Amino acid sequence: MAQIPNLDNAPLNLTALREQSQKELVSIIKSIMGNKCLVIDPKLAGTLSLILHTSVLKEHVTELRILSADPVQTECPKVVYLVRSQLSLMKFVANQIKNDESKGLQREYHLYFVPRRVVACEMILEEGKVHQKLAIIGEYPLYLVPLDEDVISFELGDDDYSSQECRLIEGDTATSVWHIAEAIHRLELAFGVIPNVRAKGVASTKAAQLLNHMHLQDPVHMDDMGIPEIETVILLDREVDMVTPMCSQLTYEGLLDEMLEIHDGSVQVDAGIMGAQQDGKKVKVPLNSSDKLYREIRDLNFHVVLRVVHQKATSIQQDYAQVKSTNTQSVSELKDFVKRLHSLPEITRHVNLAHHLQSFAGKPLFHARVEIEQKILEAKDYDTCYKYIEEIIQKQEPIETVLRLLVLFSLTNAGLPRKNFDYLRREILHSYGFEHMPLLYNLEKAGLVKRRESRSNWAVIRRALQLIVDIKDPDSPDDMSYVFAGYAPLSIRLVEHAMRSGWQSIEEVLKLLLGPRLDLKRGVSTISGSSELLPDGAQQNTDRVGRRSVVLVVFVGGVTFAEIAALRFLGAQEGMGYDFVVATTKVITGNTLLRPIIASSKQRIVQSITNPCPGGDFPCSVQGHFLFCHWKCYCLCSCIRVLYFLVR
Amino acid sequence: SSGVGRLDLSTHIVAAAPFGGPIAAVRDDSKIVQLHSEPSRRRLLLFSSSGHPLASSPWTPHLPRLHSLAFSSSLNLLALLSDGSLLRFRLPDLNPITSSSPVPLLPPASGGVADAVFWGGGVAILTEDNRVVVTTDIEVDDPHPRELADPGVAEDEQVLCMAVVEPQFVMSGSPEVLLAVGDRVVAVDEDGVQVLGEALEIGPVQKMAVSPNGKLLAAFAHDGRLLVIPTDFSRIIFEYECDSALPPDQIAWCGLDSVLLYWSEVLLMVGPNGDPVQYNYDEPVMLIPECDGVRILTNSSMEFLHRVPDSTTLIFGIGSMSPAALLYDARDHYDKQSAKAYDNYQLISSSLPEAIEACIDAAGYEFDVSRQHTLLRAATYGLAFCSSRFPHGRFQEMCKILRVLNAVRDPEIGMPLTVKQYKLLTATVLIGRLINANQHLLALRISEYLNLNPEVVIMHWACEKITASAAIPDVVLLEGLLDKLRLCKGISYAAVAAHADNSGRRKLAAMLVDHESQSSKQIPLLLSIDEQDKALQKSIDSGDTDLVYLVLFHIWQKISVEKSAPLDFFGVINARPLARDLFIAYA
Repeated sequence: MAQIPNLDNAPLNLTALREQSQKELVSIIKSIMGNKCLVIDPKLAGTLSLILHTSVLKEHVTELRILSADPVQTECPKVVYLVRSQLSLMKFVANQIKNDESKGLQREYHLYFVPRRVVACEMILEEGKVHQKLAIIGEYPLYLVPLDEDVISFELGDDDYSSQECRLIEGDTATSVWHIAEAIHRLELAFGVIPNVRAKGVASTKAAQLLNHMHLQDPVHMDDMGIPEIETVILLDREVDMVTPMCSQLTYEGLLDEMLEIHDGSVQVDAGIMGAQQDGKKVKVPLNSSDKLYREIRDLNFHVVLRVVHQKATSIQQDYAQVKSTNTQSVSELKDFVKRLHSLPEITRHVNLAHHLQSFAGKPLFHARVEIEQKILEAKDYDTCYKYIEEIIQKQEPIETVLRLLVLFSLTNAGLPRKNFDYLRREILHSYGFEHMPLLYNLEKAGLVKRRESRSNWAVIRRALQLIVDIKDPDSPDDMSYVFAGYAPLSIRLVEHAMRSGWQSIEEVLKLLLGPRLDLKRGVSTISGSSELLPDGAQQNTDRVGRRSVVLVVFVGGVTFAEIAALRFLGAQEGMGYDFVVATTKVITGNTLLRPIIASSKQRIVQSITNPCPGGDFPCSVQGHFLFCHWKCYCLCSCIRVLYFLVR
Repeated sequence: SSGVGRLDLSTHIVAAAPFGGPIAAVRDDSKIVQLHSEPSRRRLLLFSSSGHPLASSPWTPHLPRLHSLAFSSSLNLLALLSDGSLLRFRLPDLNPITSSSPVPLLPPASGGVADAVFWGGGVAILTEDNRVVVTTDIEVDDPHPRELADPGVAEDEQVLCMAVVEPQFVMSGSPEVLLAVGDRVVAVDEDGVQVLGEALEIGPVQKMAVSPNGKLLAAFAHDGRLLVIPTDFSRIIFEYECDSALPPDQIAWCGLDSVLLYWSEVLLMVGPNGDPVQYNYDEPVMLIPECDGVRILTNSSMEFLHRVPDSTTLIFGIGSMSPAALLYDARDHYDKQSAKAYDNYQLISSSLPEAIEACIDAAGYEFDVSRQHTLLRAATYGLAFCSSRFPHGRFQEMCKILRVLNAVRDPEIGMPLTVKQYKLLTATVLIGRLINANQHLLALRISEYLNLNPEVVIMHWACEKITASAAIPDVVLLEGLLDKLRLCKGISYAAVAAHADNSGRRKLAAMLVDHESQSSKQIPLLLSIDEQDKALQKSIDSGDTDLVYLVLFHIWQKISVEKSAPLDFFGVINARPLARDLFIAYA
């Protein structure tokens, strides 16, 4: 099965978008004559695998390499770099070219930026004195990649210089926000101007404004387009709802991502798990809706999935037994049987995967954690939860797990009482080491784990949006809350309200959530607070052709699979006449969301120890001093504090 | 058309641009001239095709002798001096391009120019020591002349005449130079020399001209024969014995099927069939070849000579009974309210579409507006009877073309274009020529009429306006400019502002650039006019981090050049968190 998702059933013509990206890439490569070696940066290589087969690339290039710090090994006289416009990658490129030069190798270099040329990157090349060695500097405008028939990714990585961590802490999303606006603008060029724009959160509002600005600068010509295919775009900041990603996802796809981590539409697992003989080898298992069985079960609760897969397997077994026992089968019956046998590899695959998942999710530990999450969300038994967190810190469970619960706990309680807060922080440092000091500071600054300063309004939000709904029948759930065992994701509830009755009706709740809000009808812009411009209710939403209109939901900062599942559930509800398409910077889990914060916080303290002069190249006496060594100073201070702590 | 004033062709070196372009002239100082009242200093003169003086500028004294003048395809005036250097002038005001010093095209010590042939994009020069140098990129700032293979002219021989097959007609894409040397013709290109047509036994050729499609060569042989030969000299296609064995002064192709020969006072038109036609002139003549005919410039007039088009012959031929002629007649009767109109119609009802087509076609060839009118009216009379069988668009298209052509043929504009030339030139190039001649209003009207984007016209107008109004205060000028710039949606204000800045009006530039909606164009300009703070603010507002970086690096570089304190820089970016964060990310 192909890793490239099948997009035939997509509510939007995403195939055309993907084909255009394919064509652009192939024409770039074809435009360079002769033997060439294509060097791609690692993350982009993953992204490209969602666009075209590697075999297609290999048809046109002689050699294919992944960009790394090491010099490039190739016999080709021409080297083509295809890299995202990131500062760190430029250093690799510059080093490789300089390395070739020192060896006296004469090569022709071409550099293509994805998605566009960036001055800062070119500056690095210029400083490395390799800028003039590049025969061609071009761009490959890849702004979005369809992950599945209803999921688009903007492929903004966590190693972006405007990373998650930056976003959460410094409130700077500039590059990403621009990228998102540009990507939506490109969707508009293909599918028509989106008449309704709604946004919640700092970055989302900014993106919506930028989008509008871009539309003014480079108007989409509506004449040849007809009715716009996308009726509404809803932009949501991850910051608006940090609660949801902290919870454990319970859908099949969500669990796969939590446990095995889905990258570019596939998971890597040991070959042994998939039933192959050779152990130790990793195999890639593609996961997308081209797989009919996966399409059926991906959004189901994991326990239901186990049963479904089991049923499928047994039914085939029964059929087989029947075929064996009776010889009086007609040809057409045999044909049916053989047809069903065709789905056997899919069933085997998911039996294997589900079995593997069960080894994690079946443990009492997992159940206990889900239970605690449930309690935290319902804001019951404060002390039990507090004790539980303390316990897992002392058990030295993975720091991500601890932080997820801690963040969840802090968010729903509007912070922890001072005594508890200090105590848990100290416990974390004791258990995980002093280098986590800046991490805790960062989390506090981002408002994820903090001291309690005001009363929690979680209860109000929870009640107003009906976030806690018990599921009576897990086989055919009547509410999206099944994706988190009884908790309906806040973000998706916001979408539901926006589409059902407009945001006006939940004005008060929206005010309690972070960030400004923007409602925009194209041509008329109104910042939060003014009257609702959209027609209320979910009627009149099928256009003349009888096609359902499409709502694009953009998650700035990432979305979990469980939320996507909830959104699919919402789209399938009666009376909801919309098809939802999810667009996101990245598909995340609680772990992948926290990991960059953990990593970069750690990196900073290591830097501050090994490289104690804060400020680097800049004289510390100037005004800029504080600016440039602000972080490192902090890190130093924290070191000293920790040392003091240890001595005491 | 009206005369060229006091310009005497016999005492001037003259060049005329194809496609009804202007005429340039400089007095030939190798000839004895009787000065009447004009100044004795030579001047470079420029006239429209209708004879209106457009510009003149003093000819720089003490230059080597002027060999020839020519126009390049983008209407720059080229002047080749006898030492092989080239002067270039920009129209319409004859300002020298790049530098006032001539660009040398010949290698040193080549003995100067013996002969030269220009075409739209280049020139081929035969030097005094019988070498051939071609330049194919004559429009660029520093042209690259290339010497072709040595044609192998012996000491006692001389080159009789020269012609060039233009690069676009040669397979290799580089020009082929034909030289008549002794009793042979050689083709010279970069790779070598080839003797052509020895089997044809033509004998010494006195004059040659290559046809407009590059396929045929008209050659006047020493024995008075005019020969038409394919440029590969495979056979003689056509031969005509002239009365005179003296070579003609000028030879030119008229369209693709007839050749004009000019001896003083006699012009002979030799066509493929029938007797040649002779015209007599009692004043000097200059032949200006066009793609479909020849313009004939005399001291007093400009004429256009071409073969009578078939459709015109069909209608106006004596005793013609063709459907087209009958249709024309029918319209005449109809206007006189005579019933014969209907009789005519019945005679031709089966071949009506051809008749209409012929009338429309003939109208296109007419220069006379009233004749165009009657022919088109005849066509509409036919159209009334067969609206279904004839494509309506054809009639409207011709009307549109004729409107445009009549407008530019006006003596005030002076571009005598034919339909065929117009189609070859295309409307966009015509508009380009009009704005270069500062005929902005007409250009704007034409682009509006033809539904073309008026952006080019308005932009050019705005830039010219800025150049021309140095005395007008910024605010007043801005008002005037904005009035017009608003006409065109999406026009680049930044480009106009850049021009204002180049003309030394930085304040005006700053005011203009405010109106630019595209940040990616606005910000680089703000930087170039030293509005760094504004550029930084705008780049931050635009949300495009790339632009923020652009501004930051610009300021940073400026600091390192000027050696001013980095303190200011930190002060500037510290006040703007986004800029600060980005700079930290970079540093």
